Amino acid sequence: MDNDAKILLVDDERGVRRSMEKTLLRAGFDVYTAEDTLSGLALFKEAQEEGEPFDLALLDLHMPNLEGEEDPNAGLKLLSKLIEIEPELRVVVLTAYDEVERAKEAISRKARAYFVKGRESELIDLIRTL
Amino acid sequence: MDKSKLAERRAALLHAGARVSRNIISILDPEELLQQTVNIICEEFGFYYSGVFLLDEEREWAVLQSGHGDAGAAMIAEGHKLKVGGLSMIGAATGRNKALIALDVGDEPVHFKNPHLPLTRSEMALPLAVGDKVIGALTVQSVEEAAFTEDDITALQAMADQLAVAINNARLYTENHELLARAERRARLLEAAAEVSRNVTSILDLDKLLHRMVDIICEAYGFYYAGVFLLDKEKEAAVLQAGRGKAGKVMVGEGHHLKVGGLSMIGTAIAERKARIALDVGEEAVHFKNPHLPLTRSEMALPLMVGDKVIGAVTVQSTEEAAFSAEDISSLQAMADQLAVALDNARLLQELEQAHAELVRTKTFEAIATATTEAIHWIGNKALPITVSVQRLYDDLEDVPSMPPDQLESIHEDLTLIQDSARLIVAVKEHLIGPAREYMPAPAMIEDVVKDTLTAMRIPEDVAVSYEAKAALPLGIADTTQLSRAIKYVLQNAIEATAEADAPAIDVVIEPKEDKGQLYISVQIADNGPGIPEDEFNKIWATFYTTKGAKHAGLGLSACMQIIKQIDGKIIARNQANGSAMFELLVPVYQGKLAATELPVSQSFLLVDDEDAWSRFVEESLVEAGNTVTRVAEADIDFGPYDVILVDEVLEDMNSIDVLTAISKAGAGPKTLVVASNMRVERMMELIRYGVRDVSVKPYTQAALAEKLR
Repeated sequence: MDNDAKILLVDDERGVRRSMEKTLLRAGFDVYTAEDTLSGLALFKEAQEEGEPFDLALLDLHMPNLEGEEDPNAGLKLLSKLIEIEPELRVVVLTAYDEVERAKEAISRKARAYFVKGRESELIDLIRTL
Repeated sequence: MDKSKLAERRAALLHAGARVSRNIISILDPEELLQQTVNIICEEFGFYYSGVFLLDEEREWAVLQSGHGDAGAAMIAEGHKLKVGGLSMIGAATGRNKALIALDVGDEPVHFKNPHLPLTRSEMALPLAVGDKVIGALTVQSVEEAAFTEDDITALQAMADQLAVAINNARLYTENHELLARAERRARLLEAAAEVSRNVTSILDLDKLLHRMVDIICEAYGFYYAGVFLLDKEKEAAVLQAGRGKAGKVMVGEGHHLKVGGLSMIGTAIAERKARIALDVGEEAVHFKNPHLPLTRSEMALPLMVGDKVIGAVTVQSTEEAAFSAEDISSLQAMADQLAVALDNARLLQELEQAHAELVRTKTFEAIATATTEAIHWIGNKALPITVSVQRLYDDLEDVPSMPPDQLESIHEDLTLIQDSARLIVAVKEHLIGPAREYMPAPAMIEDVVKDTLTAMRIPEDVAVSYEAKAALPLGIADTTQLSRAIKYVLQNAIEATAEADAPAIDVVIEPKEDKGQLYISVQIADNGPGIPEDEFNKIWATFYTTKGAKHAGLGLSACMQIIKQIDGKIIARNQANGSAMFELLVPVYQGKLAATELPVSQSFLLVDDEDAWSRFVEESLVEAGNTVTRVAEADIDFGPYDVILVDEVLEDMNSIDVLTAISKAGAGPKTLVVASNMRVERMMELIRYGVRDVSVKPYTQAALAEKLR
């Protein structure tokens, strides 16, 4: 992936979101953030409509879902929604835990990778391989 | 006989009659009365011999009760008796209720020639009767022929009648006395039974109830000792719960217990579920000779039964032989039955209370665990950006053009402190929350999990590791990823413990083990470090306890315990004979049935793995199903000819990444399955990028293998 790729970052943790945004910005990416699935989906659709779609989405798992309720699988649901709109979209699912089965679930929903938060420099390397 | 002699004789007879009358009034002991009577007859009348016979209970024999002189004593010692209605004079007198007199015994056909009384020439047998009922007879014998005068006969018959009344009265007195004693005893037993009933319903304290029971039994029945035994949890031994007196107290204190089915009466009564009674314990094979109860001569062991279930037994002991009447046995068994019901009710209540307490504990624990998890989750997530931010600050510092070296060093120091703390918080989150997530227990080859963990850890070369897995180990039940994590914690501890050893060594032994009836696979990890200090044993499992300094969260063993408890296993720490530590993980043996399954057939498999228990299992299973299997442990081969490639993620002498690179290059990814005994997300993502069909936890049963290959 190019260094100036357009990235959508959806995470409800303000600190995590801002920290990751800074890391991605420093790496040269064009970063847009959202604090929940609804606003993330809205941002994604808006970009699609404007003809400047996102190249990559980074989605947290546990956050308010499309109905506005706290949901440990909110990220997976948003993932399916985004892939439905753009089947070729590259998506990385972010989580705070080492959960193999959930990772497999993300892969089966066409995520390109599943990333355990806390090691952002490795995330940059991962994004560049996608 | 002249008149003066006659008068003298009559005076003697009156005198003798008066003495007998006085005796009858004053002597209460029937035996002594009879003896005195025969003595008076001989002394006052000048007869050779006199004796009193009484009929036995069946009224078949007249048994000699007292006899004058040595002859009398000798005959009593011999148990001299004569058949009622038989040929002897006593037999005839008692049979017919009629006085018989033989004035010349030589001519009298009914006389029994008694070797103890060779000089007898005259004999008189006078029935002892009360009304029409004969109770015995009096014999009077003389060395003279025709010795008895009419006066003698009259006087002696009067004496005999008096004696009969006295004997009868004495008997009635004894009978009445016995009846009274029996009535009193019955009243006492009824009172005891009533007290037991009151106690079993009113005393809620089991211990107090049992002690009161043994006191009631001993006080009401007058027994030497009573004790209550209850079965232990394993139902292998009966443990004394309460015992009468000092002996009981000492035995309870000593933890006195008897083996069920053993030689003791209690052990036998419980095993056979029926009362055991030893009336003379010296001759009873099953009696347990108890040094605390040396005087026991009779013992009774009554099982405590509730329906068909035996819960213990009561022992009752007496210093007398044959001490227990049928009434005692039935009333004591009734008490034992009541006690058993009370004990069972108390046990049920206790279980209910325990279940309730457990429920409250569980709920409290769940609430605390949930709150803790939420809190740690929250703190951990907040701490996540800290490490990254600090890294950015490090990077930024390098771009700061000029800064005094002292100041730069100080900032670096502070950043390191912040980063260490943040990393610790993140590690705590992973340790505490990690084991509880995605818990998926399944049948597993524990030896394979241990071996893979050992191999993947790449233990420093200076640490000598010995690994021994006993042959044909059964499958355990575990979440292998979590178990691997626990094993890794323990191995890491062992490596750290041997840091100061001259020749660091770790010994791993895996073997089957039975503990309290439960089957386990025991994983023993021993090191040659300094061991665990005695006062640390209870602390090492506590969350946040560490002896390794501030950078350690102290969560390793606590998380280990959590993982092992999750599978109902055990983890034990102890020091070996040489003082070094050993940790033993007991993983429960899988008890379920291994379902019949349909594996693929007529396929060609490539198995990339070392020669080990798991590869043998896969190879044998697939070949048996009609497939061909080639096992290799290298990357430089032609992957083309195979239908399915199975790769073990952990290989002893090479990195599985090299194998996957070769597979990927050969375009064989889509037919490749990677398996691992423990799986982490990052590793899975790394492996899946080689285009393989799946990366998953290793299958350890044919059903799981079939599922992976489907």
